[in-house]
Amino acid sequence: MTVDLSKEPAAPATAPGDLVFDVRNVTLRFGGVTSLNDVTLQMRRGEILAIIGPNGAGKTSLFNCLTGVYTPQEGDILLSGRVGEEQSPIVGLRGLIAKKRRSLKTHVINHMGVARTYQNIRLFPALTALENVKIAIETRQKSGPVSAMLGLPWQRREERESTERAYDLLQFVGLTRRANELAGSLAYGEQRRLEIARALGTNPGVILLDEPAAGTNPVEKRELAELIRKINEEDNVSVLLIEHDMKLVMSVAHRIVVLNFGGKIAEGSPDQIQKDPVVIAAYLGTTTEEAAEVIAEGPLVEEIDLSTSVLDDTSIEELIDETAENPQDGDLA
Amino acid sequence: MSHLKRETALQVHLKRLGSCLALGVVMAMMIGKHTGSQNDYGLGFRESVLKPRIFLFLAAGVVVYLLITFWPKVAPYLSRPGVRPLAMGALTVMAGYSLLRWSDTPQLPDTKLGPLAAAARGVGELDGFTRAFFGSIVPGSYWLLFLIVFVLGGAALILRNRALGWVVAVLAVAVGVWGLSAQLALRSFLKVPDHSTGGYVQLLGYLAIAGSAAVMAYTHAESADTRGFINRVFNWRPGFPLVVLGSLTGLIALLGAGWFAPLSLNAKWWDMTNVFGSEAISALTSAYLGWLVWVLFLGTATLAAVATARRNRSLGWAAAGAGILSVLVTLVTIHDFSKVAAAKAFDGATGPWQNVGVGPWALAGAFTLLAGAGWMVASRPTVKEIIEDAADSDAIAAGTSLNVTRALLVAVIAGALFYPPTATGFWQTVLVSEIGIYVLLAIGLNVVVGWAGLLDLGFIAFYAIGSYTTAFLTGTLPVKPPSFLHLPPLAAIPFAIAICLVAGIALGTPTLRLRGDYLAIMTLGFGEIIRIALNNDVKFGFYEKVLTNGPKGAFGIPHPHIKVGPLELTWGQNSLQYWYLLLVLVVLILLAFRRLENSRLGRAWAAVREDEVAAQATGINTVRTKLLAFAIGASTSGVAGVFFASQIGYINPANFVLNNSILVVAYVVFGGMGSLPGAMAGAAALTWLPEFLKDQVPAEDRQMWIGLIILLMMIFRPQGLIPARRRAIELEGLDKPKSPTPIAVPASEGM
Repeated sequence: MTVDLSKEPAAPATAPGDLVFDVRNVTLRFGGVTSLNDVTLQMRRGEILAIIGPNGAGKTSLFNCLTGVYTPQEGDILLSGRVGEEQSPIVGLRGLIAKKRRSLKTHVINHMGVARTYQNIRLFPALTALENVKIAIETRQKSGPVSAMLGLPWQRREERESTERAYDLLQFVGLTRRANELAGSLAYGEQRRLEIARALGTNPGVILLDEPAAGTNPVEKRELAELIRKINEEDNVSVLLIEHDMKLVMSVAHRIVVLNFGGKIAEGSPDQIQKDPVVIAAYLGTTTEEAAEVIAEGPLVEEIDLSTSVLDDTSIEELIDETAENPQDGDLA
Repeated sequence: MSHLKRETALQVHLKRLGSCLALGVVMAMMIGKHTGSQNDYGLGFRESVLKPRIFLFLAAGVVVYLLITFWPKVAPYLSRPGVRPLAMGALTVMAGYSLLRWSDTPQLPDTKLGPLAAAARGVGELDGFTRAFFGSIVPGSYWLLFLIVFVLGGAALILRNRALGWVVAVLAVAVGVWGLSAQLALRSFLKVPDHSTGGYVQLLGYLAIAGSAAVMAYTHAESADTRGFINRVFNWRPGFPLVVLGSLTGLIALLGAGWFAPLSLNAKWWDMTNVFGSEAISALTSAYLGWLVWVLFLGTATLAAVATARRNRSLGWAAAGAGILSVLVTLVTIHDFSKVAAAKAFDGATGPWQNVGVGPWALAGAFTLLAGAGWMVASRPTVKEIIEDAADSDAIAAGTSLNVTRALLVAVIAGALFYPPTATGFWQTVLVSEIGIYVLLAIGLNVVVGWAGLLDLGFIAFYAIGSYTTAFLTGTLPVKPPSFLHLPPLAAIPFAIAICLVAGIALGTPTLRLRGDYLAIMTLGFGEIIRIALNNDVKFGFYEKVLTNGPKGAFGIPHPHIKVGPLELTWGQNSLQYWYLLLVLVVLILLAFRRLENSRLGRAWAAVREDEVAAQATGINTVRTKLLAFAIGASTSGVAGVFFASQIGYINPANFVLNNSILVVAYVVFGGMGSLPGAMAGAAALTWLPEFLKDQVPAEDRQMWIGLIILLMMIFRPQGLIPARRRAIELEGLDKPKSPTPIAVPASEGM
């Protein structure tokens, strides 16, 4: 079921045709398993788009298609990473000798303005936090090995610039005091934020966050929600978010796309998705009718209140459990 | 029923004891004479296992077994103050007793302590005291004395018995002095010019033992804190250890070492004015040999000492300047008097710098150390600045390690500059054509293996390419270069770099998509292809001319020659000249690579090595990054090739076998992957070792001992001699988060 997009409340005002990603009928198979099945979705410039769905729904596969790790067998993906850039297809026929259907290389897509983080953190653990961010910044620099070996002035200037920018970014995510510690020795939530800082270091137009809240505590989740907002509003970076934590999703997302078994089952604003029986049914594993009854009992998820500090850590699964067990106790908000 | 059989404690111990005894038997077969003949295959076995000495080895096995079993109880004793110096001293004494020569007399084939003592103890002309040391009363008495000192010292340290400690200290000094006096007595009896060092080295060892016992008797500490002690010394007065070392070296140079030492003479400093008094030496040299040297030495030492004590920056610079000036004056003097000696063709000398003793070079080294001490004082913050920065504890901690590193750097520079001239011709050759060249190769391979994390087993191919490029450009291959490209060897360096860059890229482009083992196999194949192509004299069907001269290789590659204006440098057969050329090359490459390591490319290499997927997603072009590592490593190897070809003069494909590639990898791993000083130290240590072992073990056993050392290294210190910070962290697994990652997974994770 697709929800009318015009009612969406929080979406930023952008030109209607200004899409970051335009995913058209993408199908990805691994042998006999269809990971993505005819998925079509559009991501607008400047929005926070969340992709949710049960485990194995194909969320990370979609990320991997968008970043060039996998080449989908069918469909097109058009990318316009930064403002004012033409839409260009990232899947096409490539190859020197034999033309094969192939995605652009991951690093090329990254240079087109797409940065990402990983579900299981992939930092460079034996390097310091500062070095991790510098590596990202320096992929946009020009100086080569010879100027580095000779210590030429422009190379030194670039080095200084990258250090300054790295400190700025660490400050942005609140890790300035950890700058010279090894990335691997940081606390889990700090590693998550460092990964975001590294992604921002490449100066992206769109950032793909793969379960940034996994394994973090409530306080860290709240910081994360603020951070995602800040990235979106202050840096004007579009955010594509995979997340299981419904409170986080409902608090920050402008729009939500729901995947199940590789196919898109719903799309709409957070409110609409919460009330969508198809979505609830997919999560609860019940029929749509039963799900509709659950919805009728009241709102399922409270949003993170970004104005207060402490939050209770009731996750959506507990909420759903409680709702399913005691349909009478509807007042969860 | 469980399929796993739990071993009983008895079984475990039996197994362990069995392994230790087996180890003892293996050691017995490794040590000693055991080369059989065609008709007698059993000789080695009989010699090693069926003689009573096997019990010594079995006893050693039992000791190892006891050590392993009771290690937790033993370990606390080993951290007591003084245990390490005791062990070092004991090793030094053993080396002095068993490895070093005690005389240079031509009358005996072997002048190590054992045979020498056996010959000397019956000589009636020697006094009884000396003969007693050599074993006239009890055979092998010096070993007995050593054993007594060592056991008593160990007992004193373990029991923490102060009185025994003082006794051991006095006893150790006495035994050491007895040994040296015995050597000196023998030397004056033999009346042969003598440069042997056995007596001095064993005295050093005994002094270390005495020091360890004295430290124990004096200190109240429960356990040794060596690192803390070193850091305190270096923090207290940066440069202080260098001042001490420099002053001691200078005093030994002036008061003990020979200054002019052709075979028939060993003139000390105070003999110099007599030897050269009547000759036409310059005023400066004559003043230097008379009084100037003391003025320079005492002046520089005082300046450096005061600068260190006051931590005064301008005094530090003054000491550095005085030290460097003194080094220059010393060099001028050496040149001057050795030229006078050469003019008289003294002892076959053909030019300056020959027949010079250890003394002047050691003095130049001492001046370098003192200048380095001054530099350390001048370049470190003063006390006032430290107090101002006191809040910044990170800066102080960084300063400590910097102090130690800089002191070591100064010592290495002094050694690299002034040790080689004092070495024998054999060691000079080893320094250049083994140690030096492999250090250069290891620096290059470190880029590929250490920084970019790519295993390259065909590295020697680039070395071959560099060598053959030189041969081609100097016109010594059958295929001649166009006349405008006919170059002297040193001008071939840029061409060799360029060609190796291209070769590196040509090899890398198709292969760098492969990972790990597959890449290693490809590079191995590449190395063999290059060698076999050179060996088979690459001929294409349409081109019938001889290109590379096949297995015969290239002959008569000219030696390097530089002529810039009035400056003219010619390199000949002398290894020493090449040492300094090599030093210049290594220093230039090191300076460049040190910058590279901390540049954007260096960090990109680290990123690719740690997590290639994440590196790609961060925008790093991984193929290009790896290609650059290949190309830069290859070009370093090319420089080494040019140097090798022009030094040795003839090359053939047999110089570039697979074994050499594997050795270079071993050097880098042994030294510490990813660390420039480590790779250099690894190459230096492992190329020095076989040459050193030449005198100590049968030739065919050498590789076995080296293998043993590498094996022990990989078991006990897998990160290498001088590990790189990043690599050490990767190896220790510190990069893994300390607790299993998601400590409390929210229930929502399961969705």
